[in-house]
Amino acid sequence: MRVDFELIKRAQAGDNAAFNEIVLAYRKRILGTIMRVIARPEDVEDVAQEVFLRLYFSLDQLRTAEVFEPWLYRLTVNAAYDYLRKQRRRPEYRMSDLSEQQVLMADATAGGKVEHDDQYQKKIRESVDALLGAVSEADRILLMLKEVEGLSLKELEKIYQVNENALKVRLFRARQRVLKAFGASTKGKEPAQAG
Amino acid sequence: MNLMRGSQDDQLDAFFRAYREACATPEPSVHFMPQLWRRIESRQSFTFSFRRMANALVTAAVAATVCLGVYTTIRRSDAAFYSQSYVEALAEASTIDTDLVAPARLEINQAPLE
Repeated sequence: MRVDFELIKRAQAGDNAAFNEIVLAYRKRILGTIMRVIARPEDVEDVAQEVFLRLYFSLDQLRTAEVFEPWLYRLTVNAAYDYLRKQRRRPEYRMSDLSEQQVLMADATAGGKVEHDDQYQKKIRESVDALLGAVSEADRILLMLKEVEGLSLKELEKIYQVNENALKVRLFRARQRVLKAFGASTKGKEPAQAG
Repeated sequence: MNLMRGSQDDQLDAFFRAYREACATPEPSVHFMPQLWRRIESRQSFTFSFRRMANALVTAAVAATVCLGVYTTIRRSDAAFYSQSYVEALAEASTIDTDLVAPARLEINQAPLE
């Protein structure tokens, strides 16, 4: 916990200064999670503000301060999910763009010439974004939290409030779908590179 | 191509790792907190006006219910209206008809004509 229970209770009682402290303590972490889940730097702050806005108006529903962090994560997941659903109506990347970007990324990683310029990072973000188009928004978030954020199944269990086995099945299926899309996009490129 | 040679699972894991590195945690801008509080206040004022409107509607509905209740009670308390039976009410309503169809009477005790 980044804040103590007393602070949460004060915020629940309507203390705006206490709420401000909670936001300051968690905003960087939430910004990072949202950044990795939605992969749109320009919209990260907007989604993070939505998370804290929802937190402000639902803080009184929190029964025990112990579950604050999973609860905040759940708000984050929901806000990211809403954002991604809106985004899907106006997709920016096509699956056909994927293989070229993937190969570019693979070349850079395999050749050891890891570029850290903005263009390269942007391309990786776009590639993963396109790759995750193979799964639903909800599965995309789940995969991101597990594979990129590195959350454990126990932590995910608390956030999603479902049992571990159900989560494992969902994760496995989502990963299989992504792998299928990944395989399909790289298959066409391999002979050309080998030759 | 190392990434291409490993199993697809390993390739995907490497891809996710590269993605994590590409998605550095952004620094919050200086406008983050002021904008957040502006949004909170705007939502609060919306909620407040919505609540006020809802309260006004509830008050109006309660007033209308009370008025209708009073009106119905007054009408029910009109005992004469409700004490008649259906037949009596019909008879009273058709008095004009009975006058119209009443049999003609012959006046026999009139003085004889000369």
